[in-house]
Amino acid sequence: MEIFSGLLHGFAVALTPANIMWCFVGCFLGTIVGILPGLGPPATIAMLLPLTFLMNPTSAVIMLAGIYYGAKYGGSTTSILLNVPGESASVVTCLDGYQMARNGRGGAALGIAAIASFVAGTFGVIMLMLVAPPLAKFALQFSSPEYFALMCMGLAMVVLLAGKSILKAFLAMLVGLWMAGMGTDLFTAQSRFTFGQADLLDGIAFVIVAIGVFAIGEVLGNMETREGVPMLPVPKGLRNLLPNMEELKACRFAFLNGSVIGFIIGILPGAGSTIASFISYGIEKAVSRRPEKFGTGVPEGVAAPEGANNAETGGALVPMLTLGIPGSGTTAILLAAFVLWGLKPGPLMIQENPELFWGLVASMYIGNVILLIMNIPLIPLFAQILKLPLYILYPIIFGIGMVGVYSVSDSLFDLSLLTFFGLLGYAMRKLDYPQAPLILGMVLGDAMERALRQSLMMSQGDLSILVSRPLSAGMLVITAVILIVPVFRRVNALRLKAID
Amino acid sequence: MNRGEVVSGVALAALGGYIVSEAARWEYLGPDGPGPGFFPLWYGAVMIVLSAVLVVQNFLAKATVAGRPVNWREVGRVLIVWAGFVVSVALLKVLGFILSFGLFVLFVVAGMYRRPLRVAISVAVGCAAGFYLVFPFALDVRLPIGVLGF
Amino acid sequence: MEEKARVHKEVGRVKENMFRIAAHGAITRRPAPGVRFMGVLAGILTLTMAATGSPPVVAQGFTPTRPIEFVVHTGPGGGNDLLARAISSIVEKEKLLPVRMQVTNKPGGGGIKAMAYMNEKKGEDHTIALFANTWFNGPLMSKEARVTMNELTPIVRLVTEPGVVVVKSDSPYKTLKDFIEDAKKRPGELKQSGGSIGSRDNIVRNLLMLNTGANWAFISFPGGGERLAALLGGHVQVMFMDPQEAGDRLRDGTLRLIAQVAEKRIAAFPDLPTIQEFGYNIPNYVTLRGVVGPPEMPAEALKFWESFFMKLRNSPGWKKHLKDNLFEDGFMTTAEVQKFAKEHPASVRDMLKAAGIKTYR
Repeated sequence: MEIFSGLLHGFAVALTPANIMWCFVGCFLGTIVGILPGLGPPATIAMLLPLTFLMNPTSAVIMLAGIYYGAKYGGSTTSILLNVPGESASVVTCLDGYQMARNGRGGAALGIAAIASFVAGTFGVIMLMLVAPPLAKFALQFSSPEYFALMCMGLAMVVLLAGKSILKAFLAMLVGLWMAGMGTDLFTAQSRFTFGQADLLDGIAFVIVAIGVFAIGEVLGNMETREGVPMLPVPKGLRNLLPNMEELKACRFAFLNGSVIGFIIGILPGAGSTIASFISYGIEKAVSRRPEKFGTGVPEGVAAPEGANNAETGGALVPMLTLGIPGSGTTAILLAAFVLWGLKPGPLMIQENPELFWGLVASMYIGNVILLIMNIPLIPLFAQILKLPLYILYPIIFGIGMVGVYSVSDSLFDLSLLTFFGLLGYAMRKLDYPQAPLILGMVLGDAMERALRQSLMMSQGDLSILVSRPLSAGMLVITAVILIVPVFRRVNALRLKAID
Repeated sequence: MNRGEVVSGVALAALGGYIVSEAARWEYLGPDGPGPGFFPLWYGAVMIVLSAVLVVQNFLAKATVAGRPVNWREVGRVLIVWAGFVVSVALLKVLGFILSFGLFVLFVVAGMYRRPLRVAISVAVGCAAGFYLVFPFALDVRLPIGVLGF
Repeated sequence: MEEKARVHKEVGRVKENMFRIAAHGAITRRPAPGVRFMGVLAGILTLTMAATGSPPVVAQGFTPTRPIEFVVHTGPGGGNDLLARAISSIVEKEKLLPVRMQVTNKPGGGGIKAMAYMNEKKGEDHTIALFANTWFNGPLMSKEARVTMNELTPIVRLVTEPGVVVVKSDSPYKTLKDFIEDAKKRPGELKQSGGSIGSRDNIVRNLLMLNTGANWAFISFPGGGERLAALLGGHVQVMFMDPQEAGDRLRDGTLRLIAQVAEKRIAAFPDLPTIQEFGYNIPNYVTLRGVVGPPEMPAEALKFWESFFMKLRNSPGWKKHLKDNLFEDGFMTTAEVQKFAKEHPASVRDMLKAAGIKTYR
């Protein structure tokens, strides 16, 4: 009942013309920022921060939060159309989204991404509203051993991302782990694998590898011959640009899966949306009736990671608002903004600033609707880019990749790395090494090593800390199952062959 | 036997060897817990083992499962495009993004796709101008600036 | 009626802001593209930006003629980034400069990239940077560093930041002494969450362990959020915090403060003893922030910036910022801070050595 009246009050706040407009402004800016690779919400929020001091805090929160979840809507666009991941969480969207675009279903993929974002984003808000305080306590139970187990579970997804050879997928993942470990070691300040380069002291930014290996590598592969498809097929008519019933039906479970996984992982401060999207994609493939089709352009392969990515927003706001604990770069800067406005996120937040909390929750419902309405008409517009002749489209992809990488830290060194990773991506394609495991290893490697070392510091070197806690033990069991099942299947297949 | 797998397997084994040799110089277990050498030592070792398996597998496999034949003409073409990309990145410092990217587009359209020069020039100018208008001008995204001031 | 007027005003502001967003892109980063474009057309290398109405602070030899590049070594939202943005908005609000200050983020290597960037700007007078402790510690601890504070031109020191030691509110430790006594009884079993090995958290811990013979573990977490989550979840027993954040926590009852890390008790916590007051005789490790220029900064520019920051120091906006964030005014003039920058590395090196951290120079 309390929630109901709170929400009513929230809508009364969020539905004032000024706040609707701020919500729209935030969503709009967020969408643009999301579409551009490299330029992320933290930088945008930081730049707009001085402006927001002129506004009343509730409006400011509504707008900045709009940038946060709006960016997630936009993030899928370049992944689907150009195979250029706009942000780390959209890497998984490339796998099936870009293939859909190549099959002439680019518009449908964008539509599914928008719908999945809407469903999961709304789910995230509902959960944020209903269960924030108890869930925040659950998040605190999560400590280093649990994070280690979670990262193991994430890495186990490699068997699901593997193509023909699990062995090659593992090798690609190990290279990813190596790249993740480059730079200054947090615990000892030892610099590792930096080749004496000051530019490598912070390791390699993830965007460089993702854009190089996915976008540049793919384009290089497509440029092997001058001929090839002159143009990608783009169906005529608005109706054919949007997802059809069959595609939507295939995504039913993916919407739910993405929403739940994204939200749960979102509330853990040390996890992040990239692992959420990888895990929900893995689950989707594991339970699918057509796992062999994944990676060739199935709509559920877009819906699951996009959903997870958006539900994560609602989740990440749980510890941020109820405990004052930020879980990502974006929530960290939102928290900084709260403090600058004199607001104090923490256990008392909901009681002391009901107008703000409920206003924010209500505005997120409205924002998700605004984003859906705003994104659907944009689809035919964006799909036009696929109509460009390939000899124009390909250089544009190079250009967007360069801009995306450069905007991370204005570094020409990063651009020279991009050329290297572009060639690596092409080589991996030629030699049949899957790219996704490389990215997976790179995203999780750092957090995994950290969690392992923290755990062993906590237990004074006793490895049993990893299995003696129920949550981490449970996740490690799941990891083992994920790893063993395909091996078992393969052995079984060999046996059946032998019987034949 | 798939030559590509053997070669990449050997390369990965070498990388694994490098990782292990570096990691061996760093502390494995410190007073507070595992040191910086702990994790790399393990994944480096696993990398050596797995790549060895990959190579051995290929020697054991029957000759019939040969990989796709490599069309070196195609690879050569890709390497030329890539070299063009490298050159344009190297020129960023001097020419700035707009010029250097425009030249790259010109190279791809005229050189690699053999479009008439007139088309190539207009595409190059159009792309460079489009990028300028969208990124630095409308969205205030910073791009590399050359000695000419843009 | 009032409400309506407020909304109306807000809408007006939005229009204005949206216009600014459209015109300048994202506000405080760079010159307006149009200005640059015209500059290019005219073939002028130095961009001139029309002064927007207000006279320069001092007219002695040097006056900024184009936007100031204000370099910070953290990403958006980091400590120095927020301080730089606060300064930039105070400057804009109180019209302290004829041009805008644009914050440039050069994160990487704990300040090393930002220092290398400043080093490239030799002789520049429109580029200044905000330094912090890591500008002293980083080069000492890193083999890859090529630039130290000795090469750059310190301008002023602005603030010092005290810290507090906190435990969870249901912890058995009422004072720092309780914690240290318990740590002596159970060596290695108690834990502290903190940042990197060269942070104040770890240095003070090591100094305390040396002084008392107690021993507890230090667990690094990259983000402040994770550090706090580890404490609130009961996975570690103690951590260091900014006083301002701790003050909020104190109010909602999740944390208890057991000591403060400061020269003398700060005004916000008059009843909280400093570490030294418990009888632990360790040197006080000061967290500081100040402004530094590139190598060989012209003398007039240096003078200009010194008097500019003196002016800033006396501005109401700055005073409020210090008070809100519980920073201490640690102002030093150019002569003082340059002397300080000469002597400081030696004392830092001693502390790092005492803390068992490897130093390279």
